[in-house]
This record gives sequence, structure tokens and C-alpha cells, in this order.
Amino acid sequence: MSNLAIGYEGHAVLSGISLSVARSSFTAILGANGSGKSTLLKTLLGIQRPVSGELRFLGQPVFGYVPQSVELDTLYPLTGFDVALMGVYGRIRAGRLLPRGEQDFVQECLRATAADGFARKKFSQLSGGQKQRVLIARALATKPDVLVLDEPTAGVDAAATHALLEFISRIHQERRLTILLVTHDLPLVRKHAEQVIWLHEGKILHGTVRELLTPERMAEIFEIEI
Amino acid sequence: MESLREILSPDFLLRNSVYTSVLVGFICPLVGVYLVLRRLVFMGVALPQVSSTGVAVALSLPLWLGIKMTEHGSHSEHLLAFVGSTVFSLIAILVLAFMERRGRGLPEGRLGTAYVVAAALSILLLSKNRFGEAGWLDLLKGEVITISNFDLALTAAALLLVLAVLGIFHKELLLVSFDRALAVTLRKNVVLWDAIMYLLIGFTVSIAVLSVGPLISFGFLLIPVLTVRLFARNMRQFTITASIVGGVASFLGFWIAYEWDLPVGPTDVVLLGIIFAVVWIGHGLVRVFKKQPREIT
Repeated sequence: MSNLAIGYEGHAVLSGISLSVARSSFTAILGANGSGKSTLLKTLLGIQRPVSGELRFLGQPVFGYVPQSVELDTLYPLTGFDVALMGVYGRIRAGRLLPRGEQDFVQECLRATAADGFARKKFSQLSGGQKQRVLIARALATKPDVLVLDEPTAGVDAAATHALLEFISRIHQERRLTILLVTHDLPLVRKHAEQVIWLHEGKILHGTVRELLTPERMAEIFEIEI
Repeated sequence: MESLREILSPDFLLRNSVYTSVLVGFICPLVGVYLVLRRLVFMGVALPQVSSTGVAVALSLPLWLGIKMTEHGSHSEHLLAFVGSTVFSLIAILVLAFMERRGRGLPEGRLGTAYVVAAALSILLLSKNRFGEAGWLDLLKGEVITISNFDLALTAAALLLVLAVLGIFHKELLLVSFDRALAVTLRKNVVLWDAIMYLLIGFTVSIAVLSVGPLISFGFLLIPVLTVRLFARNMRQFTITASIVGGVASFLGFWIAYEWDLPVGPTDVVLLGIIFAVVWIGHGLVRVFKKQPREIT
């Protein structure tokens, strides 16, 4: 990202963003509500255009996007499997039938996220944690270079949150996937992430977890005394 | 049963009307699925009415331009009506969808205004048109009119085209409707697929309005879909069952109307309403009995 400005309809929410995300890193994006975390993510994914500046990638990375499950309309009578299956649509040309092999691969992804047990249930009837597992399986089905997760633990109970992050950490290590995780959860970031992008009052701080998440540095960021 | 035998007879005078309304009954819910899932139900109300205004404007054009139309019911008159209906439907859906996507103002207000003005305008225009008085006005009120073999073939070809496009590109249309963000990250051309979706909706509505009128078109676009949504467990079951409910209700409605000498359009729509009510009550009872979780929609 080089001197990037992001926002809506030409109005910049954040500007002067110049940073890079290393391949195979685990980066957490932190910030208060409305600080521009999701906007930054959507700009990276190409869902929103940058207001100005430049966004460069090494090659053409495949993004496995895990949105917040509340963003998906529950009106659709889709099973968990149907939702996960959408992950392979990017590899199949318009109008072509889904090959059996791709369906088996999706089943594998569901097994990997321990979502195969409830994948035949309606997506709208799954719990928050179950939905997130299906969405992560869908993201893995894209065969991603970068896994992008937008607050995957929002509305998920503590046990499921812990299990989800353990799983994400494991696939990060096993597959050397680049992970971009938007979250509010500082303890989780401390435990799992390597890098942090912190959006705070229009400023962007970028560094390692050890550099940024120390009590002294945080007190400095929030202008409080400890 | 005598009336049923009559309707099924190859010599039945309104044979083509039966075939056409059954075709519309089968195909409209397939398009209606996307109207409902994309939460564009109000558009489903307004579009058929705007489409019928297109018919009225097209049929009024020769009068305004001083061109003599040869005879009522001719192919040229039907072609004119088809062009008017399609052009108005497509323009309306593209404009309304664009405004919807911008998310400004009050969408329900816009659609409500479009509906009521279009309804009034089409009746006004056709009441001052001798062609209108001789059949088209009946169609817009929901009466079934005689349909020629040529019009039946044209309608069948158009609706089969819609069916083919929906079938071949169902993955892309579903993906763009359900999760636009994912579609973008998978490098799908979302604008193109949205445009195809809207063109399909507009085209189907214009064909349906020309064949059975706006009232039945609206009924078949939405009521079978809303009925089946109550119990459908997946998309395949949802679309196929909605289509079957539409087709069967269309035939039964025609039969009931013929048997009891009722107007077909309102009979079809009331029958669909009864089916919806029965399924809704049945679904509610099953849920209470099984204590199924309520979906948050």
C-alpha cells in the first residue's frame, strides 16, 4: 500500500496508508468501531475502490474471504455445504457444471474445519461458531494465498472463539497461509498474531505484536496513564 | 369433471390461453425466487404494472402519430405491445435497481409511486384507445384473452430462453445475489451478472404481462416463492417446488374459473393466496409440534 486513501464515495476515512504485509505472516488489524478496519479490508479485497493511492500485490493472490456471518442474508434456503461450495466457483467457468472432484474437495475443507457434521443443515439455523467454521471452509475451498477474516469471533462464545483461533493458527503454520484478521480481541491477537496494523483516530500504526502491544506503548496510543 | 375434460380437449377455444398461463405459472416463480431473495418484493409489484403501461403507451403510439392500425389482434399489434412492455420493464428495472443500489431516499415510496401511477396511466391510455377497449383493457384487469398459435409459440420460446439462462448460469446468479463480496474476491464480473439478472426479470415480467396481465404476473412471481420458502431445505428444492406450485395453481385456477364462470386472473391469485395460507398454518403447527427453531430473517 503506497500513500493509500480509503473511504466511501470519494470521501477518505483514512489516508496516507503506506505499509506492506509480508507473505505467510499473521497480521491482525485492530481499531475501534468506525476506525476504518472493514473499509481497509474491503479495499484490499477489491470490494471497494481506493479513494487515491496505490495498492500493489506480488502476482495475483487468491483471497479466501471470511465475512461476518451476520452480513449474509438468512432468507436464502442454503445448507452449510451449499455455502461452502461457493468457494470453488472462482475456478469454474460460467455455465459449467461443478466437477465431482471439487465437491469432494469442499467436503474435505468442511472436515478440516470440523464443520462436516452440520454441513447438511440450513446455514440460517447454525450457531455463530458453526457458521464461522462453514465460512472458513468456504474460504479454504478457494485455495487461497491470503486468508482474510473480518471479525470471525463476533457473536461467538468464548469456547468456540478459542477453538476457531487455534484452528486458524494451525492452518497458518501448516500451510504457511498469509492471514489478515480484523478483531477487537487483544488477548487473542497477543496469543496468535505476529504483526499488527492499528487504526486509531485517523492514524495507522504498524509493527510487531511485541512492539505495539506493550502496556507502555498502548498507554501512549490512548494517552492514558498506567 | 366435464369442464376439466373440455379444458383438456384439443378443440378447446381457450386452449392456448391455458397453455400460456400454465407456462407463466411455471416460469415466473423461478425468476420470483431472485426477487424475493434479493428482497425486491416491492419491485415485483411495481414492475408488471409499469410493463402494462408500456403496452398501453405502445398501443397509443399509432393514434398519437396518426398511423392507421389495420386490425385488432394482429401480429403487428402484438409485436408493438411486446416492444412497449419489454422496453418499459427493462428501463424501469434498471432505473429502480440503480436507485436501490445507491441506497438513497425511500425505496418503498418510489416503488409505490411507480406502481400507482403506472396502473392509473395504463387504464387512462387504454380507455381512450379503441384497441384497448377491444381486449387489452380486459387483459390488464386480469381477464384471460384468446391467444393465437403464433403468440403461444413466441411466449413459449421466450420463457424457455429464460429457463435456459437461469439453469445454465444458476451458480453465478446465486453467488452474486447471496454474497456479492465473495463474488468480487473470486473475480466475477458482478455488474454483468447483476445486469443479466435484471434483464431476465424485466424480460420475464414483460412476457408474463402480455400473456396473462399484471395481476397474475405479480401473483406468480411472488406467492409460490413465499409459500415454498416456508419449508424449503435447499435452493434446488426451493426453486423446483415453487415452479411446480405456480404451474399447478395456474391450471387449477383456470379450471375453477371455467367451472364457476369466474375471471381467471383473480381466481388464480386467490387460489395462490389460499395455498399460501394453508402452508403457512401447516408450517406453524409443525414448528410448534416439533419445536423447531425460528429463523431470523
